[in-house]
Amino acid sequence: MDKPVVATNSSIRMGEMLVAAAGEELRTLLGSCVGLALYDRRQQVGGLAHIVLPAARGKTDRPGKFVDTAIPSLIDSMQELASKELKLIAKLAGGASMFSTTVAAKIGLQNVESSEQLLEQLGIPIIAKHCGGEQGRRMTFDTTSGKVVIEIVGRDPIEL
Amino acid sequence: MTESSGGLFSTGELAALQSSFHQGSAEASTTLAKWIGKPSVVKIESLDQLPLEEATSLLSAGDGPLCFCTVELKGLLTGEMILVFDDASGLALADLLLEQSQGTATEWTEMAVSVALETTNILCCTYLSSLSRSFSKTDGADELLPSPPKFQRDFAESLLEFALMGQAVASDQVFLVRTTFEIDATPVNWTLLFVPDAVSMLRIPELIASQTGR
Repeated sequence: MDKPVVATNSSIRMGEMLVAAAGEELRTLLGSCVGLALYDRRQQVGGLAHIVLPAARGKTDRPGKFVDTAIPSLIDSMQELASKELKLIAKLAGGASMFSTTVAAKIGLQNVESSEQLLEQLGIPIIAKHCGGEQGRRMTFDTTSGKVVIEIVGRDPIEL
Repeated sequence: MTESSGGLFSTGELAALQSSFHQGSAEASTTLAKWIGKPSVVKIESLDQLPLEEATSLLSAGDGPLCFCTVELKGLLTGEMILVFDDASGLALADLLLEQSQGTATEWTEMAVSVALETTNILCCTYLSSLSRSFSKTDGADELLPSPPKFQRDFAESLLEFALMGQAVASDQVFLVRTTFEIDATPVNWTLLFVPDAVSMLRIPELIASQTGR
């Protein structure tokens, strides 16, 4: 996948990104990965990325997989869909550590921290987040309202 | 990794792996039959080499959660072994082993969870002992050491994503082994997954080479 696609199928898999105008519901299931929802309220343009790892380290073939390539790529694609310059907010979810495997246990936290750092550098405020813990999450992003709903097994849904 | 199989392991390596896993599943069948007191078959469904984004949807569960008993591997190989089942199949196992009428267990009580964990422990230990013997360079000196199993109910894709992260750090392609079950000649909705991490993915070809050179 070279760049985010405009939503026709709202389910987003690992390392993928989708952008959409109002009227779409974008969904993804997260473990240690980070789900990043970017949204422009005025233009009702949204984008959701399912990011796997913190840094691409020079890799360019799968921008959606890494924090440092996914965020710029998602913004570029949203800009193509928008009629004016974007004014973005961000919502973050994921980064769980579901069991104590050495590698994966650290990746979740690193994904969240890298995303926060890059968004800060880009001047995009994170207005809500639901990260960490030991359980997976279903993240649903409504591109009409900008609302994000987080579902965790055995708990009531949480609106961000 | 020279003969092409279109994936992470060569055709020859896959054949050697398949043989080792078949031996493990045969031994697990015998152990499971003794444990539950019914004829049981544990069989290799597939050795999958596929893109990361496709692997997370291997356990199709619709919108609902599944149950997982996860064992972490240390020693000869590292990664996870995970017994996956839906609520109905897991609770039916609890009824069977607690000698209750089917349908008695309706929720995950401490006892029902204990049954699932013990079944996982018995299955994984048998399977891993067989794999240890198959791969060990020094006739059993290198062992596969399982952790105590952990019970979770969660989204299938979330759990697979986490389990596969150990490989995703190094590759866009992932490898896992799927095992299915029959009890009393009837398929049951359990799946046993073997998910090595990136370190083991590098080690497996060496182990196969030493296995075939023995």
